Amino acid sequence: MIVFKNVHKWFGKLHVLNDINLHVRSGEVVVICGPSGSGKSTLIRCINRLEKFQQGELYVDGQALHDHSINLTKLRADIGFVFQQFHLYPHMTALQNVTLAPVNVRKIDKKEAVALGREKLARVGLADKAEAYPAQLSGGQQQRVAIARGLAMNPKIMLFDEPTSALDPEMIGEVLDVMVQLAGEGMTMCVVTHEMGFARQVAHRVIFMDAGQLVEKGAPDEFFDHPKTDRAAQFISKILTH
Amino acid sequence: MAFYASRIIQILPYFLKGLLMTIEVSGISLILSTVLGFVLGILRTADSKLITRSIGVYVDVMRGTPFVVQVFIVFFILPSWGLQLEPLPAAILALTAMTAAFICEVVSGGIKAVPKGQWEAAAASGLTRMQQLRLVILPQSMQTILPPLVGQYVLMIKDSSVVSVIGVTELTRVGWQTVVRIPEGLMVFTLVGILYFVICYPLIRLSNYLEHRLSLQTVKL
Ligand SMILES: Nc1ncnc2c1ncn2[C@@H]1O[C@H](COP(=O)(O)OP(=O)(O)O)[C@@H](O)[C@H]1O
Ligand SMILES: [Mg+2]
Repeated sequence: MIVFKNVHKWFGKLHVLNDINLHVRSGEVVVICGPSGSGKSTLIRCINRLEKFQQGELYVDGQALHDHSINLTKLRADIGFVFQQFHLYPHMTALQNVTLAPVNVRKIDKKEAVALGREKLARVGLADKAEAYPAQLSGGQQQRVAIARGLAMNPKIMLFDEPTSALDPEMIGEVLDVMVQLAGEGMTMCVVTHEMGFARQVAHRVIFMDAGQLVEKGAPDEFFDHPKTDRAAQFISKILTH
Repeated sequence: MAFYASRIIQILPYFLKGLLMTIEVSGISLILSTVLGFVLGILRTADSKLITRSIGVYVDVMRGTPFVVQVFIVFFILPSWGLQLEPLPAAILALTAMTAAFICEVVSGGIKAVPKGQWEAAAASGLTRMQQLRLVILPQSMQTILPPLVGQYVLMIKDSSVVSVIGVTELTRVGWQTVVRIPEGLMVFTLVGILYFVICYPLIRLSNYLEHRLSLQTVKL
């Protein structure tokens, strides 16, 4: 579904992605963790081409992203992306947020889109908030609307960039619950997160990044309980003490 | 007093004609400069360095030279390059070119004030660049764009007095023509001032209202 082959990326002189090789299969849930600044966001932002890379090959759902002539909007339509800061459209209601892309990208009929939007909002537990504006919602609710917005495109892949990092602790659970459910339904997911509980519960694989390199990959329990590298061990002990 | 009144009644028809011309010149320039200003302002936020720099140079030149000089260039210099215009189209061209530069800055400023995450969220959902702009970015920018935009219209209406120098018989020129014929000079230009104020004041109020509404909304969010 997603194949990185020797991908390199630089921001100026900074080598943010250093020889990334990774294969994410359809239906797989991959958790990506690592210290701040290690390149996790950059890595998943390459998957829907929010970031370009300079070297290597990347295939997403059969499309070659290193080929610059690919149809970007078509690629992105099939990939949901959830940001740390939600980025809901503040001038639209929750329902309008969710139906915007189905109407304007998929070109489905307005009525159909409203039904679809309500269904996705119900799925994240927010059926009663369809008419609310983002400013009227809590952080956890906003993030769930953002997930519904991604799901409304019936994506093949969902990408999450630290979806719970901007949330108050008491709201993290409600967002993770939605993601756990999604994983259970067989969605292909790449999740940047430090939520170890979530990783152990649903991830098929955990990937550890440091300084632009993909340092370690493994099954979650194996990775957290018996990390192979010192760098990973140090990182795990840090998130445990937090 | 009665004397003044009869004088005013005597000259008022000319002034109203001048006022109509001021409204015509400003009104047409307002529409054209808004369209051009939005196009330039949107292009100014484009990815292409060549485009944004060229527009930047244009804006700086328009903002850094006196309007009266721009009017002279359009009316007296362009003909030697093969573009000969009557006073009215020349006035509209000069006003549009200048005001569009200011509107360009207002529009690009409003677009840049929208957080980058909004572009990214819209792009990530598969919207084209034009859709991102039209559906997500511009609706949010309009709040910041509108108050200074209306402010630019007020400035433009006042600057339109400058086109009297190339013979457009608008309000200020009517004032000049009248003042050499009758002794009440102070009254003539007071009347000119009042008539400008009458068209500008509603716009000033509108701009203030939009600004006030904006500050209320920012508090709410
Ligand atoms: N647009 C950018 N321009 C320059 N440097 C950037 C940019 N985005 C990220 N970086 C740098 O790239 C590195 C990796 O960033 P990021 O992928 O966001 O890390 P992470 O998500 O793991 O915290 C950091 O050092 C960051 O400062
Ligand atoms: Mg990050």
